Amino acid sequence: MEYVVQQGFNALSIGGEYALLALGLAIVFSVMGLVNFAHGEFITVSGYTMYALFIFATPTSAWSLLPIGILASITAAVIFERTAFRPIRNAPATTGLLTAFGLSIIVKNFFVTVVATRSKAVPTPDFFNEMISIGGVRIQVLQILEGAVTGLALMLLLILLRSTNIGLAMRAASKDFNTVRLMGIRANQVVLTAFVISGALAGLAAIFIIARRGAADPFMGFAPVLKAFVAAVLGGFGSLAGAVVGGFALGIAEVVFQVVLPESIAGYRDAFVFLFVGGLLVVRPQGILGQKAQFGEKGA
Amino acid sequence: MRPIFRSLRGGVALALLTILIGVLVMSFAGTAQVRVANVFFINMIVVLGLQVTMGNSNVANLGHVTFMGIAAYIASILVIPVAIKMSILRTAPFGLTHVELSPVLAAFVAVAITTAIAFIVGLVITRQSGIAGTIVTLAWLVIVHVVIVNWIDLTRGPRALYGIPVSTNTVWLMFISAGAVIAARLFRDSKSGVQLRASGEDIDAAEAMGVNIRWLRLVAWTLSGAIIAVGGVMYAYLIGSISPKSFYFEATFLTLAMLILGGTRSVSGAVIGAIVVTVGFEIMRYFESAPEVLGLQLPQIFGLTGFFLGGTIVVFMALRPDGLIGNDELDEIVERYLGRRRARIEESAGRD
Repeated sequence: MEYVVQQGFNALSIGGEYALLALGLAIVFSVMGLVNFAHGEFITVSGYTMYALFIFATPTSAWSLLPIGILASITAAVIFERTAFRPIRNAPATTGLLTAFGLSIIVKNFFVTVVATRSKAVPTPDFFNEMISIGGVRIQVLQILEGAVTGLALMLLLILLRSTNIGLAMRAASKDFNTVRLMGIRANQVVLTAFVISGALAGLAAIFIIARRGAADPFMGFAPVLKAFVAAVLGGFGSLAGAVVGGFALGIAEVVFQVVLPESIAGYRDAFVFLFVGGLLVVRPQGILGQKAQFGEKGA
Repeated sequence: MRPIFRSLRGGVALALLTILIGVLVMSFAGTAQVRVANVFFINMIVVLGLQVTMGNSNVANLGHVTFMGIAAYIASILVIPVAIKMSILRTAPFGLTHVELSPVLAAFVAVAITTAIAFIVGLVITRQSGIAGTIVTLAWLVIVHVVIVNWIDLTRGPRALYGIPVSTNTVWLMFISAGAVIAARLFRDSKSGVQLRASGEDIDAAEAMGVNIRWLRLVAWTLSGAIIAVGGVMYAYLIGSISPKSFYFEATFLTLAMLILGGTRSVSGAVIGAIVVTVGFEIMRYFESAPEVLGLQLPQIFGLTGFFLGGTIVVFMALRPDGLIGNDELDEIVERYLGRRRARIEESAGRD
């Protein structure tokens, strides 16, 4: 029983991390049709900023690194948008995808050049790694935090999208950007907000990722985002609720595969995951929760 | 002139250029440059294969290097001497430990099997357009990589598979590249190629005109798989040792950058992109290794080649998404230029 509960929390925390990242991908995609494969670089930038601060400012408490990490991620998102993605805003989706890949290669190599290929230790509060026991089951604080913070972030996002003007504009932009502009909303503002949210969510995820691995390296963002990407596709690319559902579904699936698959084929786990995604895209290109675009709306 | 001859003429001209590069390198360059040229030819074969699907159907493909990997692994496993296999692939399935084919036979078997695999996955993959179509190819890339890394009995997993007899050289490579150029060009200008390009421009209009898009995409995908498979076999035969990471994201983006830089929609673009990126890459590699330039000792800068690669993709996507060449072939551009000049001359002659 204890084992099941622990694995349950495991699935929840991994799923939460994927959901945060997938949501960031989905929100940018829904607004401007960009598949941002450079999303993982927000995590990397965040990790290295925390590392730099730790080395040069030597803060007394690791807590002070956390907001800087999130801020760094948001800044990276804004810079990417202004420099690389604005010139190709109206280009076909494939152009954006390739630009994002190129950007991702540049950022990775930037850190290889100015820091090192080897990973650098980044401290996080010790509190994260403490174990607390709930009803006789010992659970890592980090895992509980991940679940809680993901939930909180989702709630805040929901409030933003439902009850502010810019939120309304963003939801409308996912259907028809031109009409939003005709209503007098500035396109740049909508796109920028999407990137800020995307960066903030990635920053949150970055803190959890760094807390788990304890170090930053140039390639750290790639694997999580590949997974988040799968989650977003599973849920229906561009659907925000779908991204969350997809993230948790993937987290649960991974833990289940890990527990259930025999040792000899456990290595193939990712192949199964991607096979499933590929298969799903072929039979249901709009994903689990995605809807077919109606006439006049932009297709996903 | 009939279109097929025009196409053949353009293809042969470009193929001759390829062979000229090979001949020049063989007669004047040193060992290091010959090595660069050999890798260049292999990359060019892969880029040409990529052009056949991506350039014509206008669906970005991220899974093309899988065919390079599959073919390289099949050929290597068949061609490595039994004595070496007894130590590194003792537990290979299907009794492959005791099989040893000649390089030529192994190459044919590898390309045939890879082409068959390309056809089968193509049945599924080519159904999608746009972003979904690209993501399916990405999923395929990850799946093949995971399988190669984990099927340890057959592939040695993440460790390198070595002992492949080196059985190719610049002469072979330049003629095979030339063949790939002609094949890609003939396909581009064939009825299928033209119809497929029409579907790339406007999928609904092409379908309304009765173009069988799915079938044509499958044909292009399979042909592309075959061309890239040849590149993969040549890679294994040239380097003599292969490992899974040679056929993953790095190779994907290197070849993709070549095609994007030259211009996806033309075969000349693929060739020119391969040339420019190879030269650029070598220059960057030179600066990466802390050279002394004009008496100045430069620092060692890792990651320059990566900057170049990523920068090439980003800059070209933003400023010249059609690449250096755009939609036309070199011979078409030359012919148009000559035509304009002739018209000008005739015009000025008429005025006199």
